[in-house]
Amino acid sequence: MMSAEQPSNREQSAIAIRNLDKWYGTYHALRNVTLSVKPGERIVICGPSGSGKSTLIRCVNHLEEHQQGEIVVNGVTLNDSLKNIDAIRRDVGMVFQHFNLFPHLTVLENCALPQILSRGTPRKLAEERGMQLLERVRIPEQARKFPGQLSGGQQQRVAIARALCMAPKIMLFDEPTSALDPEMVKEVLETMVALAEDGMTMIVVTHEMGFARRVADRVVFMDRGAIVESSPPDAFFDAPTHERTRSFLSQIVH
Amino acid sequence: MTSLSISHAHVATDILPARQAPPIKRMPLLKMLFGDILSAALTTGALMTILALMPAVQWGLVDATWTTADPAACRDGGACWAFVGAKLRFILFGLYPPEAQWRPMIMMGLMVGMVLVSLSPALWGRKLVIAWQVAVAMMLTLMWGGVAGLSFVPTSQWGGLPVTLLLALLSLGCGFPFAVFLALGRRSSLPIPSVLSVGLIETVRGLPLVGLLFVASILLPLLLPPTWTIDKLGRTFAALTVFAAAYLAEVIRGGLQAIPAGQIEAAKALGIPHWKAIQHIVMPQAIQKVIPPLTNTAIVMVKNTSLVMIVGVFDMLSAGRSAAMDPTWPAPYREAYLFVGLIYFALCVAISYYARWLELRVKAKDYR
Repeated sequence: MMSAEQPSNREQSAIAIRNLDKWYGTYHALRNVTLSVKPGERIVICGPSGSGKSTLIRCVNHLEEHQQGEIVVNGVTLNDSLKNIDAIRRDVGMVFQHFNLFPHLTVLENCALPQILSRGTPRKLAEERGMQLLERVRIPEQARKFPGQLSGGQQQRVAIARALCMAPKIMLFDEPTSALDPEMVKEVLETMVALAEDGMTMIVVTHEMGFARRVADRVVFMDRGAIVESSPPDAFFDAPTHERTRSFLSQIVH
Repeated sequence: MTSLSISHAHVATDILPARQAPPIKRMPLLKMLFGDILSAALTTGALMTILALMPAVQWGLVDATWTTADPAACRDGGACWAFVGAKLRFILFGLYPPEAQWRPMIMMGLMVGMVLVSLSPALWGRKLVIAWQVAVAMMLTLMWGGVAGLSFVPTSQWGGLPVTLLLALLSLGCGFPFAVFLALGRRSSLPIPSVLSVGLIETVRGLPLVGLLFVASILLPLLLPPTWTIDKLGRTFAALTVFAAAYLAEVIRGGLQAIPAGQIEAAKALGIPHWKAIQHIVMPQAIQKVIPPLTNTAIVMVKNTSLVMIVGVFDMLSAGRSAAMDPTWPAPYREAYLFVGLIYFALCVAISYYARWLELRVKAKDYR
C-alpha cells in the first residue's frame, strides 16, 4: 500500500487527507487513506464498486463521518465543530450521481434558494447569479422548468450550476455520469472539462477514462478501502505498477 | 440448426414522417352495460337499487310539502321541507341571539373569503399566515362581541354552522403546525423529542375521540385548579386539535419517509442550515406527497366535529336535532338530518375537489 503524497506542504494543499480510517459498523470502509490535493489540481478517483471512492469524497464535506485520521480543507480541520463543517461546506461544492435536484423547485429556484438560505443573499442577486451560472452550463432557456421536465444530462448540468452558485473553491463529483444515458454523458463531461480549464480544484470519482486522460493531473486507484496507485494519467494508463490496477483497467478499457 | 440470417429486420432507408394515430375504438353502450357477466350483474343491481329508492324519491320530492307556514299542512306522508325553511335560522345559528345573527353570517363570509384566497399555493407564505391570524381574531371578536358596541354573546349561546366551521377550521389549522413538529420529533434521533412525540401520538390515537372530549370537558375542570376554568367550547376545541394533530402527524411522517436521503445530503453539501432545509426542501415535498391522506384526515375532522354534541356543545347537528324536537311540527327528524347531512356532504365534496385540483398541480411539475 503506498501513500499518495507526502503531506509535508500542507499549507499549500487545498485538501489534505492523512491516515484516514472509516468503519460502517464493523466494516472497514476506508483504510489508512492519505491524499493531498493542491489548489487547481484535478484528481480522478477510480476503482471497483465498494472500493471506498464515494465514501472518501463524502468524508471531505462531512456527509460521512470518519473515525480516525485528519482532513484539512483550505487550512480548516474537519472535526466535530459545526463552525468548521460549515466553513468547509462553503468552500466545497458537490455533484451527485443522481443529481439530487430539488424537484418541487424550478431550475432557477434550485440555483437561487440555496444561496438565500445559506448566505442570506437577497433574492434578486441570487437569481441573477443563478442565471449567470445556468448560462455557463448552457441551459438558461430551461430556467423556469422543473427538474422532472429535463433530460438527465440537463439535470446534471443544473446540479453543477447550483453547486457553482455558491462560489466553491473545490468541486467534488461523485460518479456524475453513471446515471446518464450514453448520449447525455458527453454534454456533462464537456461542462466538467470547461470547469477544469477555468482552474477549479476538482476530485472526480468516475469510470470515464477518456475524461481522466484528458483532464486529470493525477489518477488515483482505490481498492478495498485503500489507495493502491496514484500517478499522472499517462503513467497510470500506460504503465500501471500494481497488479490490481492492471486487472481493473483491462476490464474497463477495451 | 438455426441459420444465421441476420438481415430479416425491416431497415428504414429513410425515416417516414410521423402519422396520425388510428381512431380510438369506442365500446357500444349495450356491450359496456351487459357485455359480460360482471357488467350485466352490476347493471342489473344498479337498476334494482334505483327502483328500490323510488319510494324515497316519492317521499322526498313528489309528496313533499315545500312551503307552508302551517305545520298541520305537513301531515300527509311526504317530506316536510317547509320545516327546514321555517327553522333554517335555528339550524344554522342555534341559540345565537336572533338580532345579532348577522355577526356569525359575516364571520362565515370572512371565513369563506379567506379560504378562497388561500386556495392557490402561489400565495402561501408568511403574509398569508399573518392574514389568517388577523382574520381569526376578527372572527372570534365578531362572535364574542363585548367590544365596539357589539353585545357580548357567551360561547354557550354559540351554535349551528358557525360552531361546526370554526371547530373544523381551527382544529385543523392549529393541529397542522403541531403535527409537523410531532412528525419531526418522531423521526428525530434525539431521545427526548422522539419519546415525547411517540407517547403523545400513540396515546391520542389509542383513545376514541368521544373519550378525549369527555376528558377535556368533564375531567379536565376537576383536575385543574378552579381559577383556571377554560370555556367548554375552548376545551372541546383543544381536544379536537390534539386529536387532529396526532393523525396529521402520522400522515406527515409517511411523507417524510418518502423523501430520498439525497435531498437532505444535497442541502447539507450546499451549506443550508438543517432547519431551513427541513422547512424549504424536505417539508414541502413531504406534504405534496401526502395530499390524498391529508384530505382524508381533513374530511374526517370536519365530520368529527359533530361528536361535540355529546359533551353539550351546540354544533350544527345538535341544532338540527333540537329543531326537530319542536312539538308544533310533526317530528321532522328525517328532514332535519338530511338537510344537515347535505351541508356536511357539500363541505366534504368541496375539500375533496380542492385536493384533487392540488394534486393535478403537483403532477404538472412532472414529479418522479
